[in-house]
Amino acid sequence: MNTGKWIVTLFAGIALPLGASSEALTEVDEIVERANLAAYYSGEDGRSEARMMIEDSQGRRQLRQFTVLRRNEEPGGDQDYMVFFSRPSDVRGTVFLVAKHMDRDDDRWLYLPGLDLVRRISASDKRTSFVGSHFYYEDVSGRNPALDEHRLVETTDAHYVLESTPRDPAAVEFVRYVTRVDRETFLPMKTEYYDGQDRVYRVMEVAQVEDVQGYPTATRSLISMPLEGGSTLMEFRSIEYDVGLPEDIFSERYLRQPPTRWLQRDGG
Amino acid sequence: MRFAPAVLFCSGLLLFVGGDDPALAKDPGAGTADDPFTGFEEADWDDPWDEEPQGLDWSGFIESAAGARWNDVSNLDRLTLGEFRVRAETRHVAEHYRIDFKGELLWDQVVTDLDAQVRELAVSFTPARFMDVKIGRQVLTWGTGDLLFLNDLFPKDFVSFFAGRDEDYLKSAADTARVSFYTDVVNLDLAWTPDFAPDDYLYGERFVFWNPALGAAAAPATPRRATAPGDDEFALRLFRTVGPTEYAIYGYDGRWKQPLGADADGRPIFPRLRSWGASVRTPWLGGLFNAETAFYDSLDDPRGDDPRIPNSELRLLLGYEQELVRNLTGGIQLYAERISDHDRLIENAPVPARAREEWRSVATLRLTHRAWRDALTSSLFIFVSPSDEDFYLRPSINWRRDDHWSLSGGVNLFGGREEHTFFGQLEDNSNGWFRLRYNY
Repeated sequence: MNTGKWIVTLFAGIALPLGASSEALTEVDEIVERANLAAYYSGEDGRSEARMMIEDSQGRRQLRQFTVLRRNEEPGGDQDYMVFFSRPSDVRGTVFLVAKHMDRDDDRWLYLPGLDLVRRISASDKRTSFVGSHFYYEDVSGRNPALDEHRLVETTDAHYVLESTPRDPAAVEFVRYVTRVDRETFLPMKTEYYDGQDRVYRVMEVAQVEDVQGYPTATRSLISMPLEGGSTLMEFRSIEYDVGLPEDIFSERYLRQPPTRWLQRDGG
Repeated sequence: MRFAPAVLFCSGLLLFVGGDDPALAKDPGAGTADDPFTGFEEADWDDPWDEEPQGLDWSGFIESAAGARWNDVSNLDRLTLGEFRVRAETRHVAEHYRIDFKGELLWDQVVTDLDAQVRELAVSFTPARFMDVKIGRQVLTWGTGDLLFLNDLFPKDFVSFFAGRDEDYLKSAADTARVSFYTDVVNLDLAWTPDFAPDDYLYGERFVFWNPALGAAAAPATPRRATAPGDDEFALRLFRTVGPTEYAIYGYDGRWKQPLGADADGRPIFPRLRSWGASVRTPWLGGLFNAETAFYDSLDDPRGDDPRIPNSELRLLLGYEQELVRNLTGGIQLYAERISDHDRLIENAPVPARAREEWRSVATLRLTHRAWRDALTSSLFIFVSPSDEDFYLRPSINWRRDDHWSLSGGVNLFGGREEHTFFGQLEDNSNGWFRLRYNY
């Protein structure tokens, strides 16, 4: 079953051969596919530590710290994610499990250690706050490219500039978004979301990209809200790809009993 | 009327920790339009991750809580919740085992008592690839109901639940050995509790309940506690997830978790109970559907003709939950209990008019709204029983100000046409509460 590829990070490297050509691509679908793979499907699996600094519009700051495990079924296809929270203290021990599906709603579970409760989450809207941050669940596990129509509006020296509009506008809070995809790494480096009045109200920017085992990986990124104020900075470290995560890690057993071996650095 | 001291505790808590809020001390500037990343320095992360963990890492909270009933009742105070609580948690993770600890020190103004409680002290290990073991004091939960329990016969603390303590306290800890087996076909959980762990039921220190001898809902002059027998209880669950659908089969051998029986002298006892059940949970129509059933076999009254022992009963539950609009989730449940041998129950009941009906039905509705990126959570839980003509409303609101401070408030409102029904007997316990917590 290990034919798949997985994500550890929310923004990861490229699954396809790197730098195969410096000639500009003109097919928008290929750019979108490669950007999706670059951002969410590096390696067959992976683990990473992550932390977020959330700043609200009044400047108050909060922290989140967690470890992410990811495993791919196949490149660009279904994936499993597991997020183990270590900070702050009121969510320590909480574990979030997602089975991401291309053809139906994701399955999501939350383990609450205080009650020893495995709660199934019914929320179908993935554009809601991920643990109180400005990242959405969908920013973490990736938005299915088939949900939007994409157009290549410009090719600069460094970037492909894509404009995307939702196929179902009622299902999302944006009218369109514009993404700058790095021509070398295919990582989306900046995404601006526009509201009904054509204002940019939400921006995702990548500040730092590192090479991890040959996969260019965004290790520092920021979501900011220019209109309402507030932002969340997310950082990754101790990233490892192709660690050989067993498929059965992503199950109720390991919600209750964290897989210590796979959570430690150099664990595999 | 001992409400005032509880308020003083809260103010004391504020003074105690109010000056030590790192979130307030931070420079609010997040950066400039040119470089959004300026302003985030390594020192801002109060937990730099270069640091390897050393020794035991303690966390927990300090909480002050107050609550009061609206009505005066004899033998009881207006205060239903008045406490100051300190929680400490830690864990030791080694290569082949793990130890978890959660302990609390609680000053309870309602019973004017200082109490130390161990909520968790358990060792976990994996003796074989297919097997997990957790032994010690721990909280266990299973089943698919939302605040309705069929196959979950682990101890519950209804005193905490009705008083407005955190919902975590609905589940009590017990000294249990849990052994789990995982195979490709099915998984098995076994939980053995050597010393029967009853619910924290209403015994009259804080809340009134139906008193058959008085023919009224009242608090007895001395708390009505039953002696827990020293025998063991055993629970099992066979479970499997196929695609998105979760299936489970349950079993239990022990006692009714509340002293629903009486001995020859009329003293409350815990009669023997054996139960079997099953559940399924699966995504459906953009939400989640669940169904669960259990048969409670009341071993001490197999014919159902002993008025001092509860009859066997069948329990049925259907539930559905869906996100209605962004950040608003709604859930409904339909629940029913059917008493076995109801005709014999009526024949033998001392007061047939007050005996339970053959069917008891309950419908619940839960609405949960999350705002401000989940910092403000509002919830309304409604229990309504068409058969008993009674209800229980449970609105609450929680504001998580930052990583340290949170404030919660809510109401427990009970009512019913008659004084002896499940929720109706609790009418004089209707109360309002609030809690202030500092997480460290």
